[in-house]
Amino acid sequence: MSDKILLEVKDLKKDFGDHQVLRGISTKITQGEVVAIIGPSGCGKSTFLRSLNLLEVPTGGSVVFEGNEITAPGTDVDKVRQKIGMVFQQFNLFANLSIKDNITLAPVKLGLMSKEEAEKRAKELLERVGLPDKAESFPAMLSGGQKQRIAIARSLAMNPDVMLFDEPTSALDPEMVGEVLELMKELAADGMTMVVVTHEMGFAREVATRVIFIDEGVICEENTPQEFFANPKNQRLREFLSKVL
Amino acid sequence: MQDFINEFTLNFIDDNRYRYIAEGFVNTLIISFFAVLVGIAIGFLVAIIRSNHDKTGHMKVADVICRIYLTVMRGTPTMLQLLIIYYVIFASVNVPKILVAVVAFGLNSGAYVAEIVRSGIMSVDEGQSEAGRSLGLNYRQTMQFIVLPQAFKNVLPALGNEFIVLLKETSISGYIGLTDLTHGGDIIRGITFSAFMPLIVVALIYLLLVTGLSWCVNKLERRLRVNER
Repeated sequence: MSDKILLEVKDLKKDFGDHQVLRGISTKITQGEVVAIIGPSGCGKSTFLRSLNLLEVPTGGSVVFEGNEITAPGTDVDKVRQKIGMVFQQFNLFANLSIKDNITLAPVKLGLMSKEEAEKRAKELLERVGLPDKAESFPAMLSGGQKQRIAIARSLAMNPDVMLFDEPTSALDPEMVGEVLELMKELAADGMTMVVVTHEMGFAREVATRVIFIDEGVICEENTPQEFFANPKNQRLREFLSKVL
Repeated sequence: MQDFINEFTLNFIDDNRYRYIAEGFVNTLIISFFAVLVGIAIGFLVAIIRSNHDKTGHMKVADVICRIYLTVMRGTPTMLQLLIIYYVIFASVNVPKILVAVVAFGLNSGAYVAEIVRSGIMSVDEGQSEAGRSLGLNYRQTMQFIVLPQAFKNVLPALGNEFIVLLKETSISGYIGLTDLTHGGDIIRGITFSAFMPLIVVALIYLLLVTGLSWCVNKLERRLRVNER
């Protein structure tokens, strides 16, 4: 793990009308880190994650990605997002496109790869996620676990510097959770920087290099997984862990 | 039977009266075809402006113009719109009636197409466009490659219905003295003083046209649905 800071979040705030979802979150994410974010539902962890690629526009504070403040006005957000992959709870594969086209659409339309290059890359990625025979299938024909693996492949096709996972296994049938987590483990082992909002405590414990607990819009505790789960200091975290473990 | 043949001969064969029907048929086809194209162009444009405004709050002025357009077009009878465009707007310029009809029916249909397409855009899950944007595609690319193709597929039955309505609506073209299919039949009725034969034949031709149109739309719908199980 290098010390290069990829993402720096300073005093991030977000409110929806009167409702304050994020109330000042600051943290740094260095290259190669796998950060698990946990917390009770409605605590703001998804909003926090979506602020990192500006799917939610923060109402205060700043996000710095690779040295550039992306929350500053005039930022080419589309350009930034090319380097920040995102995997959604509901997969969000493009329903009108084949699996191959799902993976190649962005790299080709953004002029990053020729059609041939992109298709070659798609083939490699499909091998990697273990679905080499699905190139011509459509999303509706796949299981949830397969869809999520394709969604990860689609993200990887952009060669992102960091990947955000928004509860990637929460919409899956229990027997499909394993295959997605396994793939995420492999990504982590390959050195991919990942920020993962999750309810999978096992994943947070085994794979994460750091665990963050968010409650009521602030970071209540962050620590290495060993310390985090063995010696939780924050009272609310202890209550939360006693409910989910 | 002999009566029937006599009637037929009187209405369509004598003096080559079938030509009124033929001319009307061609005009109806031309008006409908180009009005559909105009309607689609306007409809998509208005729908995109309106849904963009609803989502981002941008394009305020354009949105207001679109709303006024929708209110006027859907709030007044098509026949009046046709008359106003012919007798008021194009009063002092000499434009072919058929062009006037295309403009009038296209403008009118565009309003309905716009709302149909807008409902289609809203029917596409927000996650689809979020996924597109998260990959770095811009708003236009996301619309073009992801949202609109799905929206179009979702609203195809409603669009087909709108085109059927439009085709039949062109039957009021006679009010500006244009020989469309209906007017053509009516001219024959005026000459021969027999109502049954020309009117029924005209009705049958409309029925055939609409059946053909529905068939095409169904076929397209099935083709676009192959990707779903």
